[in-house]
Amino acid sequence: MKNGILIMFAVLLISVITFATASSQEDVSYIDTSSFGKTVRGMVPFEHDEHNDNAGLEDCNICHHVYEDGIFMEDESSEDQMCSECHDEDSSGDKPPLRTAFHKNCKGCHLESKAGPVMCGSCHEKN
Amino acid sequence: MNTLYQFVAGPLLWIAFALFIGGSLYKVINLILLTQKKEAYLFCFLSWKWSLRSILHWLTPFGPRNMKLHPAMTVVTFIFHICLLLTPVFLLSHLILLEESINISWWALPDQVADIMTLLIIGACIFFLVRRINSPEVRYVTSASDFVLLAIVAAPFVTGFWAYHQWAGYQPAMILHIVTGEIMLVAIPFTRLSHMLFAVFTRAYIGSEFGGVRHAKDW
Amino acid sequence: MADPAEKIEEKKAIPSDDNIVDEGLEKGAAALTEDKIASVINQVIDEETGARLKVYVDTCIHCGLCSEACHYYVSHDKDPQYSPVGKIKQTIWPMLKKKGRVSPEFIKKASQIASTQCNVCKRCAMYCPFGIDIAYMISIVRRICHKLGVTPLYLQDTANSHSVTMNQMWVKEDEWIDTLQWQEEDAREEIPSLRIPLEKEGADIMYSVIAPEPKFLAGLIYQAGIIMNTAGINWTMPATPGWDNSDMAMYSGDNEIMGRLKKSHFETAARLKVKKIVMGECGHAFRSVYDVGNRWLGWKMPPVEVVHAIEFYYDILKAGKIKIKKKYEKPVTLHDPCNVVRGRGLHEKARYVVNAICENFIEMHPNREHNYCCAAGGGVINCGPPFKMTRMTGNRVKADQIRTTGASVVISPCHNCHSGLEDIVHHYELGTEVKFISDILYEVMEKPE
Repeated sequence: MKNGILIMFAVLLISVITFATASSQEDVSYIDTSSFGKTVRGMVPFEHDEHNDNAGLEDCNICHHVYEDGIFMEDESSEDQMCSECHDEDSSGDKPPLRTAFHKNCKGCHLESKAGPVMCGSCHEKN
Repeated sequence: MNTLYQFVAGPLLWIAFALFIGGSLYKVINLILLTQKKEAYLFCFLSWKWSLRSILHWLTPFGPRNMKLHPAMTVVTFIFHICLLLTPVFLLSHLILLEESINISWWALPDQVADIMTLLIIGACIFFLVRRINSPEVRYVTSASDFVLLAIVAAPFVTGFWAYHQWAGYQPAMILHIVTGEIMLVAIPFTRLSHMLFAVFTRAYIGSEFGGVRHAKDW
Repeated sequence: MADPAEKIEEKKAIPSDDNIVDEGLEKGAAALTEDKIASVINQVIDEETGARLKVYVDTCIHCGLCSEACHYYVSHDKDPQYSPVGKIKQTIWPMLKKKGRVSPEFIKKASQIASTQCNVCKRCAMYCPFGIDIAYMISIVRRICHKLGVTPLYLQDTANSHSVTMNQMWVKEDEWIDTLQWQEEDAREEIPSLRIPLEKEGADIMYSVIAPEPKFLAGLIYQAGIIMNTAGINWTMPATPGWDNSDMAMYSGDNEIMGRLKKSHFETAARLKVKKIVMGECGHAFRSVYDVGNRWLGWKMPPVEVVHAIEFYYDILKAGKIKIKKKYEKPVTLHDPCNVVRGRGLHEKARYVVNAICENFIEMHPNREHNYCCAAGGGVINCGPPFKMTRMTGNRVKADQIRTTGASVVISPCHNCHSGLEDIVHHYELGTEVKFISDILYEVMEKPE
């Protein structure tokens, strides 16, 4: 009985420490979802620089792309814009709607490069 | 895990759908052709009016006398079948995947509602299991295959519930969810789950017999 | 509270169906080999069934919801062996699963179950959520057993009689004519101008009966004569084979004999150029001409219109062709026979008739399509004395149903039901009288001077 309580405390302590250190890191950041009216799933943690280092991404427009008439513009990029400036929440023409755009941008690349999370719960935090 | 995911959510999924749709079409067409070949006379008794009369009565909760004799079973079986059909088809996560892969989507259930419906399905499966073991008249006609079928039906919902709540072992649960879902799809045309396809035909026939020939109710 | 020891004693006293010895089953099974069994089963399955049987077997989800439908199951304290699906499990499932390779002992048991523990009353078809016609599957089992020569002796003897004489009771042609003329003579004492017209070509109605009527229930022909003459019906009865509308071959699985019988019956009506056939108060005969036999012969509906006695009485009462002197006073209840209620929907007309001739009608519960079978029909009573107790222990629920009404008469517009209910009334000491509609109608109607 006593052992049980001790173990419980130990587990609790470890989780509190882990949680505290994790949230105390300055540059923890999430994907900006402010363009969505209301989100259904949990936030997606995303460390921009760490991700790009790990993935070896040099060009900004791999993610921050620009398309004109359905053609990818190799020399242009869009890091100064919000995704929602092009992608509406409702689908329009060739442009994927906002949610799909996010998913395709992340998951699509992860699937192609066979690296990075692809299942819903691997990105979205628990509700 | 990514490679595995890509396989079960990719080629395996398409194979499962192909077997489900192809198998179902094969089974139904085979039923019609075989009847045409060997028992064509059955068609001359089939009538839309009497078929629909029977089907609608048996879709009405507590319409038939037998449903009144088994109130618990009636309630559970209606909830089970309604949830079983609606939850996977109107689940947001499924629709998102569908939209991403073939750009088709439709109205989705709120996640909380789908969550409760999943629990109802799991509860109903437990009810069926207990009934199968406890009721002598059900136990007497039960074979191993009946438990396997029940497990096939319950598994995608248990694993789906697990994955949605992101409990320990999220990734394996997700893979299991996809695989068990695929098993269930394939099982529909090729096991006694085929009542999903055939019930409408058996009801239509007995309904037509009772309505058109026997001038009697069949409920 | 009953003492447990006493309870066991009581249980022992109930004769078990497992100990019944029937010579037809024994001798038939003794002559079988597994090869022969497999070849016959596969022949019947491959050549006489199709997608229907397959789908019925593949669709059944083993839910057991049909159980409650069966009087055998309910009467045996919910013994699952007697549930409809329980009987399918003991018969057709293993036959299909083992591709016909079952033992002679298995066939013997299967034949006993199919022929004596199921009345093919189709009540279970109304309880199965999928509408699986379980009685159809039992009929397939009977068909297989027939082809294997494993049919209960008395039932087979009846089929033999059909085969030889075209009637159920070995009634010879001259005996038949003689009986009709004897009844005519007797009835003329009551109505001097009465006729039972034989072989009258162009009559409106051919009246047909089952062979037990001339054999030992000739009074029913007398009553029919009185009713027909009073109502002023232009009718006739045939003097040739084809007069018997009954059909035990249908129940023994001997479809070929069934076909011959029905053909002869319909052809007799055609030869007499009648507009329709009216038949006496018999259920299985109606099933045979209206449902099974006609289809075997390739007729979607009977080639000559057939009218069951209930409907005929309804028509003549409604048209005022028969007047009621004074309604029958004793409290009566009505047994709905499966073959004319689940088989033809005559339940409301039966109630009209009963109310027209009786003062005090008490409903039995459940009733109409949901009435419990008599346990005699479907050829079971024709399996004879060895299986009498099968019917008695298998239908305690019917006794309870009748007892609860408190009626002193139970009306049964069907021969098999009538005989079966008489046995039940005696066995359970209910003290109820069992009557045909015509018994009462004859008693209460106004007759011409």
